[in-house]
Amino acid sequence: MTDYLTITVALLAGTGLFLPLLQVFRTGRENLAGYILALVLAASLALIGLFTLYPSTVPWAGSLVIPDQMGGVFALVTLGVTLAVTVASFDFLKSGNKPIYYSLLGFTALGMVLLSYSQDLLMLFVSWELMSLPTYVLAGFDKKQHSNEASVKYAIIGAMSSAVILYAISLAYGLTGSTQISTVVAGFTSHPSALAGVATLLFVAGFGFKMSIVPFHMWIPDAYEGAPTTISTLLAAATKKAGFIAAIRVLLAITTLYAVTNSPLFTMANVFAVLALVTMTVGNISALTQKSMTRLLAYSSIAQAGYILIGFVAFSNAPGSSAAIIGLTGTVFHVINHAVMKGAAFLAAALVLLQLKRSDLKAYDGLGRRMPITAFTLAVAFLGLAGVPPLSGFWSKLLLILSVANGPYGWLALAAILNSAFSLGYYAWIIKRMYMDEGESTEKVKEPFWFVLIFAVMVGLIIGIGLFPQQVISFVSNAVTSFAG
Amino acid sequence: MSYVLSLLIALPLVAAPFVFIATRANRRLGIYLSLALSVVVLAIAAYVFGQVYATPPPGGQYLFQEKYSWISFSSFGLNYFLGTDGLSSPLIFVSALLTVLVIIGSRKLIDHHEAEYYSLIFMFEGAIMGVFTSLNLILFYIFWEIVLIPMFFFIGVWGGPRRKYAALKFIIYTFSGSTIMLLGFLYFYMGMPSPSFDIPTIQTMLQAHQIPVALEYVPLLASFIGFAVKLPLVPFHSWLPDAHVEAPSPISVLLAGVLLKMGGYGFIRISIGLFPGASTEYAWVFLALGLFSMFYGAVAALLQKDLKKMIAFTSINHMGFVLFGAYATLISGSVLGIQGAIFQMFTHALAIGCLFMLSGYVQHQAGTREIPLLKGLGITMPRTAVILVLGSAAAMGLPPFSSFLAEFMVIVAGISASAITAISVLVPVITAGYFLWMIKRTVLSPAEPGHESHDMGWSDVAAFAVYLIPLVVLIVTSYLILTPALPVAQFLKGLA
Repeated sequence: MTDYLTITVALLAGTGLFLPLLQVFRTGRENLAGYILALVLAASLALIGLFTLYPSTVPWAGSLVIPDQMGGVFALVTLGVTLAVTVASFDFLKSGNKPIYYSLLGFTALGMVLLSYSQDLLMLFVSWELMSLPTYVLAGFDKKQHSNEASVKYAIIGAMSSAVILYAISLAYGLTGSTQISTVVAGFTSHPSALAGVATLLFVAGFGFKMSIVPFHMWIPDAYEGAPTTISTLLAAATKKAGFIAAIRVLLAITTLYAVTNSPLFTMANVFAVLALVTMTVGNISALTQKSMTRLLAYSSIAQAGYILIGFVAFSNAPGSSAAIIGLTGTVFHVINHAVMKGAAFLAAALVLLQLKRSDLKAYDGLGRRMPITAFTLAVAFLGLAGVPPLSGFWSKLLLILSVANGPYGWLALAAILNSAFSLGYYAWIIKRMYMDEGESTEKVKEPFWFVLIFAVMVGLIIGIGLFPQQVISFVSNAVTSFAG
Repeated sequence: MSYVLSLLIALPLVAAPFVFIATRANRRLGIYLSLALSVVVLAIAAYVFGQVYATPPPGGQYLFQEKYSWISFSSFGLNYFLGTDGLSSPLIFVSALLTVLVIIGSRKLIDHHEAEYYSLIFMFEGAIMGVFTSLNLILFYIFWEIVLIPMFFFIGVWGGPRRKYAALKFIIYTFSGSTIMLLGFLYFYMGMPSPSFDIPTIQTMLQAHQIPVALEYVPLLASFIGFAVKLPLVPFHSWLPDAHVEAPSPISVLLAGVLLKMGGYGFIRISIGLFPGASTEYAWVFLALGLFSMFYGAVAALLQKDLKKMIAFTSINHMGFVLFGAYATLISGSVLGIQGAIFQMFTHALAIGCLFMLSGYVQHQAGTREIPLLKGLGITMPRTAVILVLGSAAAMGLPPFSSFLAEFMVIVAGISASAITAISVLVPVITAGYFLWMIKRTVLSPAEPGHESHDMGWSDVAAFAVYLIPLVVLIVTSYLILTPALPVAQFLKGLA
């Protein structure tokens, strides 16, 4: 069964390696690289999809990678987003160097797939870098001042987070003599020490940079705004999710911060709860005051990371309880939904930027008449992000809040509910601008084929999963149950 | 298993895109199609209403039940569960009736983006039917929220000058209220010994005393916030005057006639029906809030210069009766309170719907809604004036309009709870006072010279008669609503 994974890895790596040759031969067909990558990604998606239906616990590449269902869910999400980004880039990308761009996208996809399945800290670190390094280049792909600035800022912060993770790994290896995640966690539990606590917190910080957890979020709005918007989509909807799978694998099994202090308050559940509260609140409040769409989406993305963390709280608080299963199911489900909704919103913003050459919110006045499909996509994505039923985002938020609704973290549920209501303030405000305000022009704007195709698929997913969530939820909850097993 | 209620929800929702396409192609075709479809929905609603009257389900049981598993994994289960009884069937019927009348009234009053308008009306109707027929809390919440989306666009796209502000205020107020309500449901669910979101299942557990009263306080408070915003109860009402003033008149009809009923329905079905222990304990608070709302709405209405704003405050006044009546039953044990509250919701929908639609006509024909500027309607617009007088009589609860009976029942139930609440009889007096004063200034005053008359046509008069005739008929046939309402009232009284 693990042959599927071999084929996928070979496909993605081979494509990444050979696409730049198209640049050398100058075939004159610039988009060819994109079409090839899209086909390869679609094939990988199909293979991993099959693979996840028949999950395996047989190790692949030693014990570095174990292709379980949980990893499959994340691999599917990240590959799906990369595919959408690739297809959108057919229209979006104007400058040369296209084969390089698609080759880098391919390597990022490979990194994310391997990261999803990693069972070993070293493997995790290597795939983390394989995922991150191409995105530093991609963020600066515009060769414009602000794009380069974003790229450098992102690269420096990214290198820092990698260093933090690497330091945590070295501590873990020193303490337990292993880099296997399960062994490390068992060692932390059986021989608690202050250093183990420090290592755990360093992991939180290192992964937190990618997951866009406050206070590790500072780079996000600048990077998302400066990067080409298709790449912002990738960062918000895919690489961020890879941060979550790393955190799920490493951090969820650790429940207490052994012996850093003796206070019983210092548990992982409390750490996650405080991070969740701060992240969603800061994200929502900052989003309300933004004047540019990409920055608004960046802060909204930060706020959503706060919601996703609620499942971590429920799981760490009482592993094995029904609330833990509901919470982690909510987390993984929200990761999927958020990838679709945020992907749709970012790509809609990308199209507006491409066609109207601006990303400030004034460009969105009267958009409902100028670009009806884009505006509708954005409206559906926003309502979904706010958690309005019966869209997909509602169900995952429902499960997340349900998992902490009655118990010691009831306050977090209340905070999440109030945050949701508050966030509608800016989501509905944008919808109001698109459909009720008069724009500077009422002239129709062209909506290119590839974008419309992606919008149709994404809106279909948001509404479809919203009406019939059972299939996806049982798929996710199977993965969660076997993970928590 | 029956599919009638699903049909009632699905038919309007499925019709919406077809109405959109038809109206885009041809305006007249679209409006006739809308009218025909809404009449079909009304026929189904009338069938449901008739069946519930013919065989009223015993307390705690529901007719036309449908139950399918929707989501289940691990320990979590959620059903698609519909049913109706003497509480919801009158509201289903009156919502379908008002939708037909609103479509008739919109022909003249709505003149742009008509395709979007008529399709949103059907989205609204389908969601409303879902609210009134859901027997699962999450399903109820979902429909509850879907109602907001068309209403947001109705106010924001077809409203008056400050429409955008009113639309945002409306959606943020009501969404905040309802998310808190949802949190209350989730808290309740996680605390139950064997968790369920199904209303009948929870009520069975309540009867077997399996749910501790201590679990009921948080959800009671949370659902109170959600329902109080919708009802609206003073001091949660501030979105309502803004929304009404800015909304186009046909939408005000839906807002006051249908949307506010969601609040009253929620209080009876959920606050009392699922948290009876805590509700009984705090019944006095609710009673007092209802009474305060009644007085506040009446006095505030007295001060309004805008005809529509006056009617909007009358709604607050009338919906206070619903809360007052419902909780009077919990205190006194007199079933008249809940019966009266259900009856009041039905009559208020028609009486206030008539007045709101009329205010739209007045503005359309006379160019203003300011009461001091409307002079001599009796001479310049005699037909409009007659409808205005009759509609006002219905709203103030003058016999032979059945609103009289509804308010009478509620007040009697209140007095049997406590003699102090007898001051509630002053509310209809104030109401009559400001309506008569309004009529004196508009209908009975001399006409301004040189004012041209644009009275409504006879076809419009016929449409308005549809609002008023049922109110007159119901005073002799009140058993149509009260008989099926009786088992509901007795059941809820028994739970407490």
